[in-house]
Amino acid sequence: MRSTPASNSDSHPMVHLGDLHKTFSNASGEYKVLKGINLTIQQGEFLAVVGKSGSGKSTLLNMITGIDHPTSGLVEVNGTEIKTMTESQRALWRGRNLGIVFQFFQLLPMLTLQENVMLPMDLVGMYDFDDRPRKALELLARVGLQEHAHKLPASVSTGQQQSAGIARALANDPPIIIADEPTGNLDSRSADAIINIFDKLLDERKTIVMVTHDPALTDRTSRTLILSDGELVDETVVKCLPLLDHSQMLTVTKQLERFYFQPNSTILEEDHFVDYFYMIVKGFVEIVLCEKCRDEIMITRLGPGQFFGEIELINGSNSIAAIRAAPDNEVELVGLRRDEFTKLLAESPLTEGAIRKIVHIRLEENRIADRRRTSRRAYP
Amino acid sequence: MRPRWVKVLHDLWDNKSRTILAVVSIAVGVFSIGVITGAYVIISSDINISYAANNPMNIEIRTSPINSDTISMVMNTRGVADVEGRFVFNMRARKSGSTQWTSLNMVAIDDFSKVKINLLTPISGSPIPDKKQVVLEKKVLDSLDLNPGDTMEVQLNDGSVKTLTVAGIVQDPSSGAGDFLAQPFSYIDSSTLATLALPQIYNRIYATVSEGKNDLTSIRLVGSMIEDKLGKSTILVFRSEYSITNEHPMASTVSAILGILLALGILILFLSSSLIANTLNALLTQHTRHIGVMKLVGGQRNQILGMYIALILAFGLISVVISVPLGGQGAYALSAFVADKLNFKLLGYRIVPIAFIIQIIVGLLGPLLAGIIPVLNGSRTTVLHALSTDSNRDEETITKDQDVSNKTLSARLAHMLGKRNIHFPRPLLISLRNTFRRKGRLILTLFTLTMAGGIFIAVFNLNVTLHDYIGQIGNYFLADVTLDFSQSYRIDKIKNEALKVPGVVAVEGWTYGSAEVIQADGTVADNLTILAPPAGSSLVTPILVSGRWLVAGDENAITLSEGAISNLPGVKVGDFITLKMNGRESSWKVVGVFKFVNQSGSIAYANYDVISRLNHTINSSFSYRIVTDKHDKAYQAMVAQNLDTYFRDRNYKVTDAKTGDSTLKTAVESLDILVNFLLIMALLTAVVGSIGLTGTMFMNVLERTRETGILRSIGAVDSVIMRSVITEGMVIGGISWFLGAILSIPITYLLSTIVSLAIFETPITIHFTATGFLIWLGVVLVLSAAASILPARNAARLTIREVLAYE
Repeated sequence: MRSTPASNSDSHPMVHLGDLHKTFSNASGEYKVLKGINLTIQQGEFLAVVGKSGSGKSTLLNMITGIDHPTSGLVEVNGTEIKTMTESQRALWRGRNLGIVFQFFQLLPMLTLQENVMLPMDLVGMYDFDDRPRKALELLARVGLQEHAHKLPASVSTGQQQSAGIARALANDPPIIIADEPTGNLDSRSADAIINIFDKLLDERKTIVMVTHDPALTDRTSRTLILSDGELVDETVVKCLPLLDHSQMLTVTKQLERFYFQPNSTILEEDHFVDYFYMIVKGFVEIVLCEKCRDEIMITRLGPGQFFGEIELINGSNSIAAIRAAPDNEVELVGLRRDEFTKLLAESPLTEGAIRKIVHIRLEENRIADRRRTSRRAYP
Repeated sequence: MRPRWVKVLHDLWDNKSRTILAVVSIAVGVFSIGVITGAYVIISSDINISYAANNPMNIEIRTSPINSDTISMVMNTRGVADVEGRFVFNMRARKSGSTQWTSLNMVAIDDFSKVKINLLTPISGSPIPDKKQVVLEKKVLDSLDLNPGDTMEVQLNDGSVKTLTVAGIVQDPSSGAGDFLAQPFSYIDSSTLATLALPQIYNRIYATVSEGKNDLTSIRLVGSMIEDKLGKSTILVFRSEYSITNEHPMASTVSAILGILLALGILILFLSSSLIANTLNALLTQHTRHIGVMKLVGGQRNQILGMYIALILAFGLISVVISVPLGGQGAYALSAFVADKLNFKLLGYRIVPIAFIIQIIVGLLGPLLAGIIPVLNGSRTTVLHALSTDSNRDEETITKDQDVSNKTLSARLAHMLGKRNIHFPRPLLISLRNTFRRKGRLILTLFTLTMAGGIFIAVFNLNVTLHDYIGQIGNYFLADVTLDFSQSYRIDKIKNEALKVPGVVAVEGWTYGSAEVIQADGTVADNLTILAPPAGSSLVTPILVSGRWLVAGDENAITLSEGAISNLPGVKVGDFITLKMNGRESSWKVVGVFKFVNQSGSIAYANYDVISRLNHTINSSFSYRIVTDKHDKAYQAMVAQNLDTYFRDRNYKVTDAKTGDSTLKTAVESLDILVNFLLIMALLTAVVGSIGLTGTMFMNVLERTRETGILRSIGAVDSVIMRSVITEGMVIGGISWFLGAILSIPITYLLSTIVSLAIFETPITIHFTATGFLIWLGVVLVLSAAASILPARNAARLTIREVLAYE
């Protein structure tokens, strides 16, 4: 997985969605497709949006691209609030700010690849008229299609068509690339080539938002958003409990309680009753034995996307170690109550199995650390 | 070139059948407009210029025999520019060796080189005949196959036959120009009269006026002065005609007919525009995704709009390039045809700038206006709609209510028929339902076909209406045979003789008179041809508009045709008018007004006794009406021939023996020309309609590609798919026939009224015929099937893989 650029100090939000709702009406009544989405995407992020069919992924993309309007809420892309623009203004803005890549490529069949790439330049009035063919050839060369520039889409492979689609998306050098299942219609080798192109774009500080069904692709993105039934699954849940199905993730998301801790503050004392399964959203925590003892020992340090408390909840014991916020940062946690966690494991044997493995490993680590502490006491 | 214009070029070029469809539909409309406007301009200009170029007479006076002194006297009348005296007489002629006689108006001219009035235009051979030679007006060639150098036989009053050599063929646009029932003319030098045993006299005065050639009032004034002079010289004036120089007598009638054709041309354009709207609707539906993509990559509405407007203009431009030259040619061809029929000369082939401009404007603006709404709607398509996979189905979305009602209707129908053991095959039901899926497109297609059908059927009704009217006019020509002599014979004598000819059952002696209607100021208001059958004649069944018909004992009572009454403003039944006959004025009471073909001048009827007394031919007559025991045309012709032979053998001076309605035949032929023209226009609308239907079926098939695939995958073979498409086309054709049949009723009324007013100057009774309805049913079903075959073949050709992969 790529590192998130959030740590980069010069990045700024490219997309901001605030309490976004979208409701469709048809003969059978109203249907809420998006239910209060809050999302910020930073410049340079490669974001995967994942979800089952009908979960609202395409609607979410439509909100970002401005091809559909929210029922309520805010959509701000690259500093512009989309709903303030007319349809034509939006088309011009979109042409300059967004490059869009489709699952079915959507190249105009009667134009050559080069002409397809020149089309957005023509429509938006980008570059001098005489420079456009050269620019288009450059873009096609970047995606390895310089030799096919004068061919019609039907004369090249589907992978090459998608590469041409990306070249077209880059025609006006937009800061944001929106890709709707760009590899959904490609074989694995072509898909790999497309993602490699995306990787190169990230080096140019482009922001990429990609809808995909392909788990192999989400591994190569910096963030993964899961949409389930029109709602975003908490990203920490996605990272900590990846084996849950999407609706279980969403249920957990709704059950979470949030906790904040100052640096060095104790989160959980040793040999105390544990109420929650904790997942780390932000910051680092230290797992220590005999905290505040002279011979305290730090077993491990856990960061975002990791969890603790599972040993006690599964084994029914008090805490076997103390947990505290690392001295260098604040910590944000989300917690799932004991009974909900127990119920969840019962519903998801895969997750239970995975967590039990982790419990086993951690208990082993704990035993080793405890032995070390004991030996230190014996031989000061 | 910018990529978006490259796209427009490809849109134009890649789908050639669509481009051809659009171009042909525009071109047909533009062509029609071009032909008719061009012909309108050419004819209305050339008919008058050609007429004027031959220096037509302003005054024509038919007199009792006169000589050159009278002509000199007339020449000295104030206001007269030129005068010529001619001897015009009727004679039977035939090609040497032929047995078929034709009646000709023979004109004897003193010196052809000095002719200044009613000039003859040479066509072939010499326009100047020597002694024993004849020059034929080209209309003679319709009935006699003669060329310069051939010989022609003419029959003299005594029955002997003389031979004349044809010196040349000429055109005479002036003589008989206002009368399409006039017999054709031929010309001889006066020196030939002796050969024909005729005296060196004149019986016609042709004069032109020196001032006010185009002012009928001043012409009438000069005419009155001439007639006064003639009256003082005891010369009888039988008839006088006045006409202006710069307008052909038939010009207004021709304009009216061309007006109707123009209206039809505009209608065709209108229909082809609706076709354009349909084609563009379909094109934009197909291009919805393209529009979405372009908008998504930055295309603004105006840019998209511009691209499709350019496409429409390109369709228009191609159509204009094709149809303007063709329209020019067509206009000239139509003009040449009309010129030939009305006997005037065209000034030569030329481009009519106004027709040219109208075609360009119409060819470019028409499609633009027709296409602007679909294009505006298309350019308004939101990206969301365009890229939605279901976008094409939006128009088809069936609301819950519709669904329920349709289901109920079809279920009810199926149930009802099922109870009667009638079961529609499922594919047929699919075709029936498919027909109504694209309602907008269906309405446009139906509109085009319905209009075509309405016009087509109406033209047949018009044909029947006109022929029926002519048939009614035939009620004035009820005699089976008309027998004319060059001198009067006692009626009882002719009656006795005629009854000896087998088949003859009754004989009536008629007489004629010419009279001028004199106004209060002494000027001539109109010339009347008075037909005088015996009182109570059974050979006239008049169509009375007002008043009554003549009865026995009516003295100085007259009935006037509608045309005559329209020339006498203010005159109505019961009024008295002053008639000048044989130089004497007398007062006549108008007792009735009747309908008649008005093209042969103003007609009036009076009792035989009264007119024969005025003509000093009491109990005798030149002209006889014969009734035979059978009334079919062949029998009538045979009896006419027998009568001719019988009387000639007995040295009676027979001029002509012909079937009673032969005069009407000429009128019918002229009407047929008009009806044929209208039929051609109706067929053009049918062509436009079928092009529209082809387009519609292509679009329907294209849009239902996926459904075709599904049908195929569940076992539909080629023939089932083809039948489904063809049935749909024929259902549309059938509906359009039904609607067209209804629409044909008002169109029939409109067309018949306009045509009858133009030709007969009177509204006539409208008649309907099943022929038009049945022929159009056949035509529309064949057209529908033909229009659907190609799309059906396309549909049947698709493989399951192709159609289910269709995106």
